[in-house]
Amino acid sequence: MLRTDEILSTIEMLHAEHLDVRAVTLALNVNDCAAPSADHVCRKLHGKIVSRASRLVEVCNRVGAKYGIPVVNKRLAISPAATLLAGHGHAAAVQVAKTLDAAAAACGVDFVGGFSALVHKGITPADAVVMNSLPDVLSQTEKVCASVNVASRKAGINVDAIHQMGHVILKIAQATAARRGFGCAKLVVFANIPEDNPFMAGAYMGAGEPEATVNIGVSGPGVVGSALKRRLSREKNLTLGDLAEEIKITSFRVTRVGELIGREVAAELKVAFGIVDLSLAPTPQVGDSVGEILRTLGISRIGAPGSTAALALLNDAVKKGGLFASSSVGGLSGAFIPVSEDAALAEAVGAGHLVLEKLEAMTAVCSVGLDMIAVPGDTPAETIAAIIADEMAIGVFNDKTTAVRIIPVPGAKAGDRVDFGGLFGSSPVLEVRNAGASEAFIHFGGRIPAPLQSLGN
Amino acid sequence: MTRFEHVYVLNVMSDDHPGIVAAVTSAVEALGGNIDACSQTVLGGYFTLTMIVSLPDDVEPGHLAEQVRRGGPDFQVMARRALLPDRFVPRAAVDRFVITAFGQDQPGIVRRFSEYLAGKDINIVDLYGDRRGDEFVLIGQLEVPTSWDVRMFQADLEHMGQELGFTVKLQHENVFVATNQLRLPAATQAVQG
Repeated sequence: MLRTDEILSTIEMLHAEHLDVRAVTLALNVNDCAAPSADHVCRKLHGKIVSRASRLVEVCNRVGAKYGIPVVNKRLAISPAATLLAGHGHAAAVQVAKTLDAAAAACGVDFVGGFSALVHKGITPADAVVMNSLPDVLSQTEKVCASVNVASRKAGINVDAIHQMGHVILKIAQATAARRGFGCAKLVVFANIPEDNPFMAGAYMGAGEPEATVNIGVSGPGVVGSALKRRLSREKNLTLGDLAEEIKITSFRVTRVGELIGREVAAELKVAFGIVDLSLAPTPQVGDSVGEILRTLGISRIGAPGSTAALALLNDAVKKGGLFASSSVGGLSGAFIPVSEDAALAEAVGAGHLVLEKLEAMTAVCSVGLDMIAVPGDTPAETIAAIIADEMAIGVFNDKTTAVRIIPVPGAKAGDRVDFGGLFGSSPVLEVRNAGASEAFIHFGGRIPAPLQSLGN
Repeated sequence: MTRFEHVYVLNVMSDDHPGIVAAVTSAVEALGGNIDACSQTVLGGYFTLTMIVSLPDDVEPGHLAEQVRRGGPDFQVMARRALLPDRFVPRAAVDRFVITAFGQDQPGIVRRFSEYLAGKDINIVDLYGDRRGDEFVLIGQLEVPTSWDVRMFQADLEHMGQELGFTVKLQHENVFVATNQLRLPAATQAVQG
């Protein structure tokens, strides 16, 4: 029999703190949809996705209702489109993307990830097709999300691929200029991309995964922020150690909810349960912000000295609580700092407290990287590439995943405000200092060798 | 399975103070009896105890109650013969849910919700209510027949809650187990890749 105090403490978390499951992502291997003609590929792809995923939304809603926990986003992820597109060209790539878009709409999900290429050591012709098709794909589809892995701890950093992505990102921005370059918000450039990430835009199904699997992204930062505020309102003389403990306990409970729902959804869909991703993913809603947690931890202006340490504390405590709660932790599992999607971070940028360089430093201690960064539309491709290269270096040399989701907003200059709508939020355009000063470095090209694995200081 | 053949349900109420359980169990022991199950709570300064007691010899329930009553001058005691297990009507398959309701206290809250549940053949197996300031908190652990669509109940109960100015939730108990206890609830059938 449950104890009353247990029920009351869970109710407090569920109702007052708006606990939810942020994302249920059904990952599907679609390699068996390969065929000599693009029409045939698309028929097989649409058929497979709809047959495996048409019940996803209904099952998520039913299981969520049973536990009184809403599942906010239902999504699909596929094995890399580059594999499917081997032997095909640009037109086939766009056709496949449109088919994914239609299949996702037919299933009622909001996004489908996996229009991806893994190019950390080299670029195959099919990878090149995927990368070069992204301006058309991301401007002509709504739900398709793309990712390109350009670096890994074993291969090093593929600067040729990064250089190419610098140009591709500018072209995507131009192709979606009417929407302030929004297409770039659906593309993530990764180092050490996780095979089982449920979060968009970087979700895809990696090698070594089963035929189909359900991955879960647990609730957002609002729950952790509320738990900290409640503890601070009830007790005096708390130390950072006490606050880390509070985050850990909250993370344990949140992770448990995610796993409970994920396992049941997977069982109902008759697919394997994959992982729980512990990431704190903010939304533009007030109160659902990693930035606000930093404020609660005593950083009154986000970006001030201490911001990196506070974020490190948060990130680590979330992982410790989550790892004890579940034996199936995976994905990115850290705190996200997507600027436009986090109202407090966007505000700090607007006030001049938070700059690109400080954001980069903060990404060294959290997941996932420079995320939802709006920059001036005239930023040179080589500078965008160099920003990506810096972020990849943090990932590769610190043995972690990092990523860049950068939006060069056509016609905008630093300080202008852009609004991407919905969960993508709004943000001032960040200043890129020393733009154009990295050109020669990027033009060297080639690959930055994989780092030493010992002498790790 | 009880230890002895003759089984009784014993209920004791008293002002709360140390020594009540000791007095009651001494009386049972004096009759050569065994305590097969018990549950006790203290609410608003009042002690209540329910026990399943089995005795080797058949005694009148009134005699058992009288023996226990001697343990304390303020004891109110009831005893009755317990139904044998095969006398219970088997229930349909059920699942455990928890109802929680919060709102401005007013007479009739527990009645409204319990009447609704009774009308749907939903059994209340544990009930907690507490007035805090002007607010009333109600928590019930329920057995809901698996054949029902729980979303219909949730909609009904939330609607009823709105009429009363109450926030009402009906949730499967596993969410409370998962968030409070070290082990996850018994796993749903896992599918291997």
